Amino acid sequence: MKMPEVADIEQLPVPEARAGEPGAWDTLFRRYQLPLYVYVFELVRDKQAGLDLVQETFIAAVRHIGSLREDNKFGSWLFGIAHQKCVQRWRKRKEIPFDEIPETLDEFENSPDDLLIRREQETEFMNLLNQLPLPQRSVLLLHFVEDFSLEEIARITETQLGTVKSRLHYAKKSLRKLLEVKNENAA
Amino acid sequence: MKTPLDILFARHQNAAPKLDAIRRDVLSAEFQNENQIPFFVNLPLALWRELFWPSRRIWTGLAAIWILIFVVNFSQRDKSEMMARKTPLPSPEMILVFRQQERLLAELIGPDELRVAEPPKLFLPQPRSEGRIEILMT
Repeated sequence: MKMPEVADIEQLPVPEARAGEPGAWDTLFRRYQLPLYVYVFELVRDKQAGLDLVQETFIAAVRHIGSLREDNKFGSWLFGIAHQKCVQRWRKRKEIPFDEIPETLDEFENSPDDLLIRREQETEFMNLLNQLPLPQRSVLLLHFVEDFSLEEIARITETQLGTVKSRLHYAKKSLRKLLEVKNENAA
Repeated sequence: MKTPLDILFARHQNAAPKLDAIRRDVLSAEFQNENQIPFFVNLPLALWRELFWPSRRIWTGLAAIWILIFVVNFSQRDKSEMMARKTPLPSPEMILVFRQQERLLAELIGPDELRVAEPPKLFLPQPRSEGRIEILMT
């Protein structure tokens, strides 16, 4: 399944949106509303909060489009706003989910997109995803949902590239381990 | 076989109508309101949003410095004028004493003689040739 009415990044009407054309904003929001919601929801685990955060992100995007430097970075810029909104929400609730994770990395594996899951494992996969610490989940989601590069993920989450690599590595490792344990138990 | 992306989107597909509604609400609020607001209201709002709000801490700091400067300036103002206003008027006895002192001083020094200034000499311009004859005659 693909996202509804997905437009190529090159075709996105970012210059028109800068000029304040509502139609251009409509196209951009249509393109990103579901991925953005998926990302935000999987972080906050609350439907209403997820919808509120998407709304806040859209409003902030319209009002601060001037701060976007490169038009082709619109996606990562929008996800950066959403990520900041999540962080603000946690700060208000005095939750500090982005704890320190070791940044050393011995090996960097392939893209997590190679994780193909059977139908019966869907629910399990989601449960496993929710078991991951928030920083790892955030990085993994950004990689899954929008296929952002590591540099873009670092920009969105305002962390070092090494930290992103480390988080992605540990997220994949944890997922695989959890899946193996589940399979062994099932067998 | 499904990818994690497929699962994620399928799981949240039921949120799509709500997201559509949010998108419409945001666009109508942000763009229709902007058109309805008159220019003289919209401009300060835009200035507030774009100029002040992003660097509000800097502006607040500057405002605090200016308030401090005003307070310091006000506290170090020259108070002589205010003091003069507050001092009471001299009594009639004092005025009488002052006049007596003035009279005594006038008697000692004598009346003021007016100095008449010498009137400036009238200068009548002469032709240059006459001036030359005068020099030759002398």
